[in-house]
Amino acid sequence: MEINDKDTLTIVEHIKNFARRHSLFVLAYGTGCGAIEIPPTMTSRYDAERFGIVGRATPRQADVLLITGYLSVKTLKRVIRTYEQMQDPKYVIGFGSCTINGGMYWDSYNTIKVLDQYMPVDVYINGCMPRPESVISGFIKLQQLIKAGKADGWKKYQENLDWYRANQKKVIKNWNMPDYNW
Amino acid sequence: MSDRIQDLQKSLSEGLPQCSVEIRRHGGVELISSKENLVGVLAYLREHFGYRHLSHISCVDWLEQNQFELVYILWNYESRIQLFVKVRLARVNGSGISVRHLWPQADTYEREIAEMYGLPFDGNENPRELILEDWDNKPPMRRDFDTRAYSKEAFYDRPGREDAKDVRSVISGRSGEEIPEIAIPYTRK
Repeated sequence: MEINDKDTLTIVEHIKNFARRHSLFVLAYGTGCGAIEIPPTMTSRYDAERFGIVGRATPRQADVLLITGYLSVKTLKRVIRTYEQMQDPKYVIGFGSCTINGGMYWDSYNTIKVLDQYMPVDVYINGCMPRPESVISGFIKLQQLIKAGKADGWKKYQENLDWYRANQKKVIKNWNMPDYNW
Repeated sequence: MSDRIQDLQKSLSEGLPQCSVEIRRHGGVELISSKENLVGVLAYLREHFGYRHLSHISCVDWLEQNQFELVYILWNYESRIQLFVKVRLARVNGSGISVRHLWPQADTYEREIAEMYGLPFDGNENPRELILEDWDNKPPMRRDFDTRAYSKEAFYDRPGREDAKDVRSVISGRSGEEIPEIAIPYTRK
């Protein structure tokens, strides 16, 4: 983030953030049960596209990664791979109780409980399941954070990569993925 | 319906005298076999009683009796009567017998049981992993596997949310929002 001598965002950053927050491209990827709330959010009744929220097919085209529910260890491996392929700036929205504290899978042997131990989360949406209204409200919150220049989870991930990597490797025993180098 | 079930029970008892046949619940017949007879019994049911469809193979962990119980759920399209074929196996160093040659879809169920209960199947050696990935602990569906202790050790808890206590007042206090009156009776003490 470029900060000028008056300790505010530079005008270039303002323009960048304006563009970013009005074209949130969401990766069309869903885990758990929350993905079923995305079609009503995207289609005509709630019409998320009026906020610039559009689906994208591949990680390299997307800005926002939605974690829509419980994450098993097996899925976490794929999600980390997906997240690391996305281009900066990128944002993560944790969706539902399962990403916050495990939800109803709090004593499961195969699902992680706290998502922000493994990847940086910008916005959590609570509920089990969150309705499309709360999904859109979460996106609005993300837009406000981007406007204020506070949605910098992707920077935290780069700075604290060792900590995140240690947590990830604690649960993913067979780490056979490429190590990306920023 | 019940007449047809009783007829089936009678003909099954005559055809398979080494097995015990009982009517256990509405629309279902239970047949208890031994491990040695199992494949023969299943092939016989398939050829002579029209049980062409294997719906599922289920496994029950009888920890106190130190046994596994396999339940083969069969379905007859003509008579529309469900049949449960049960067999008890040793829990320690026991093994089931693969029925892949009778029903190819049995492979999936056998892989699942081998993975979730640690029960190998003769004729289905070294099955590929089905659901779990890189699992190196006790098979998780066994009753002596403590899933809560495992998850406590393997995964992080969110501080303050380790138990099932009600935190709605804390959360609503953060944003200055009030809990609506209709929700208060459901508050956990």
